Amino acid sequence: MTNAKTGGIGRRRFLAGTAAATGLLAAPGLLRAAPEGIKIGLIHPVTGALSYSGTQCRAGAELAIADINAAGGIKSMGGAPLQAVLGDSQSKPSIGASETARAIEDGAIGIVAGYASSICLATSQEAAKTNTPHIVDVGVADSIMTRGLKNTFRFGPGYGKIARDAVTSLDAINKAAGSPAKTVVIVHEDSAFGTGTAKLLSAELPKYGFKILKVIAHPTPMRDFTNIALQVKAANPDIIIPANYYNEYVLFARTIRQQQIKPKAIYSVLGGAASSYKFVKDFPEAAEGVMDTNHWFNPKSDLALKRKKEAEAKGLYYTYEVYLTYNAVALLADAIERAGSTDHDKVIAALNASTWDKHGMPYGPTKMVDGQNTGAQPVNTQVQGGQIDVIRPAEFAQAQVKFPMA
Amino acid sequence: MKRLAVLVAIFAGLGLLPLLVGSDFWLNAIMLALFSALIGQAWNIAGGYAGQFSFGHALFFGIGAYAVAVLQVDLGINPWLGMLVGGALGAGAGAALGWLTFRYGLRGSYFALVTLAFAEVFRILANSTPFTGAGEGILIKLNPHPAMLQFKALSGYYWLLLALTFACFLSVWWLERSRLGAQMLAVRDNEDAAAAVGVDAFAVKLKAMALSGLFMGLAGVFYTQRYLYLDPGLAFGPTQSVEALLVAIVGGIGTLFGPLLGAFALHLLGEAAQTALGDVPGANMVIYGTVLVVMVLFLPRGLASLGKAGLGKAGGRRQGLRRRKRRAKDA
Repeated sequence: MTNAKTGGIGRRRFLAGTAAATGLLAAPGLLRAAPEGIKIGLIHPVTGALSYSGTQCRAGAELAIADINAAGGIKSMGGAPLQAVLGDSQSKPSIGASETARAIEDGAIGIVAGYASSICLATSQEAAKTNTPHIVDVGVADSIMTRGLKNTFRFGPGYGKIARDAVTSLDAINKAAGSPAKTVVIVHEDSAFGTGTAKLLSAELPKYGFKILKVIAHPTPMRDFTNIALQVKAANPDIIIPANYYNEYVLFARTIRQQQIKPKAIYSVLGGAASSYKFVKDFPEAAEGVMDTNHWFNPKSDLALKRKKEAEAKGLYYTYEVYLTYNAVALLADAIERAGSTDHDKVIAALNASTWDKHGMPYGPTKMVDGQNTGAQPVNTQVQGGQIDVIRPAEFAQAQVKFPMA
Repeated sequence: MKRLAVLVAIFAGLGLLPLLVGSDFWLNAIMLALFSALIGQAWNIAGGYAGQFSFGHALFFGIGAYAVAVLQVDLGINPWLGMLVGGALGAGAGAALGWLTFRYGLRGSYFALVTLAFAEVFRILANSTPFTGAGEGILIKLNPHPAMLQFKALSGYYWLLLALTFACFLSVWWLERSRLGAQMLAVRDNEDAAAAVGVDAFAVKLKAMALSGLFMGLAGVFYTQRYLYLDPGLAFGPTQSVEALLVAIVGGIGTLFGPLLGAFALHLLGEAAQTALGDVPGANMVIYGTVLVVMVLFLPRGLASLGKAGLGKAGGRRQGLRRRKRRAKDA
């Protein structure tokens, strides 16, 4: 007996045929089993006092993973995709260490962490126990890289390099203008980054003939800069050098304007907001003319501009956290690609031998010495006409320096 | 003695965990809870038993932490010795703070505010003085060897912390049975009445602060050796003060097992919330905070009171029986 509805094919034959067809269609997939994902631990302070920067870091890392996977994953490992294992350090080193241990146990073969220097110290130490490759994304304390941890690498510059470059650049800018500036006030936040930077600047600036009138420390968070601005006003320096985080920088810069303090330059070193599009957009008057020595992408690199456009299309401000963490993940992915393996020793060897240049930063190919990328350097930026332009070094410059400030 | 047996059994069980738990993450999570239990119990000695609510226990924590760090880095003194000094300085700081505040009769919220202020003053001092590394902090050289109070395996740190926590809990167990403990409770419940019956309230409070400072200082030493980095915010910031206070309040102040219960409940809650909510930033903290508010509203005597409530009827019955027997005797 045949079934009219199925054109003479019986139920059993129909089911068997369907199963066979499904099997045939699925066969290529089964024969070419999808490569297993490669897990990377992303440990950032997405809650707590550093949550803005931590969230930016996470966004940058996720962008990198998406781009690498879209480009075919890790090709030397059969196109294995990268997978993020996310961790929140809650802005505390102890939780950062705990989250690192969690990520490693969840199968992460590399760690990218942890924004603040104190958290990077804890996460890299935790990763060192299992010899898991660890890339420091932002943390600038020089001590992170001088402990002899073989698993720890940093793509960006440390604050020793940044502060020295800041001083030589300031000297060059001043001399080019006929040396109008002679006195300096440093205003810094009082944790490792600000204090370390201020210490280095205090040691270096007098060598170039600058007289330091005052060094003013403040805590983070700090919600009123009036007293500090009045101290600066009383000192009447030619140059004000702020070294602090975003919120404090914005408040300080606005208070300087409110108090009608008009130095020849506001020259930041790792100024939390001085090279921030958000600051320039929200407070254009306070931002105008401000110079900074900071992490920055190469404005003449098509790759960097493409990434910037992609990030902005996703509603992100393209801040240093975003592109430094993006590049930290991409650097690790490049090492895994060249190692052709997730074996810790092989990835670490590949990182040590890294000559990676697809970063869109003003660095040149990576060259690791004791885990530090020695080619990494900061640049000088200045806010001119509502835009953040690179003004030094000359090969990356988009605009001429405006000094003294108008 | 039954409570001692329970205490020993709990810590013996906890001592076996590194052999049973294969996961470093979970061992670390238990360590974080144990650490909270240690600082919670340290706070509990002064706050729970002697009734001296401090908002600035980070002061003793920071002093212990900086003691071991400075002695090690600047003077090359072995951290085991540094641990003794850290504990002693913590105790000394507790006594000194007590002496400064109690002699002026500061109590309640005034005492709490002064402790908070002292911790902040020390944070600023540590931020400004070169021997503490100022704002840059102190980094201790990585040298994972037990002789340097550093361990390659997490279990080494775990057992060290467990020993410190056990010592703290054992001290509180002893305190509950001692004359000093009874005097502390008398001072806590009514200082004037205690003084009227001959208790030297000033000395009792001072001893409570010293003992509390001792264990807080030792906790600071442990933190430094575990993470090998210290800055003024980590050492004297409000985080440790709040955590110490929180676990004791949640667990049950003035109880032996309260801080242990509070520490494990809060940490397990945090972990459970994170597991349940995945990678939504901060959502676990919202749940954590909500549960905390609910707990304080509906269980103000802490988790330990749950056990007491259960025993309450039986205990009440026993007491009633004793009272009736006594009355019958008197008659």
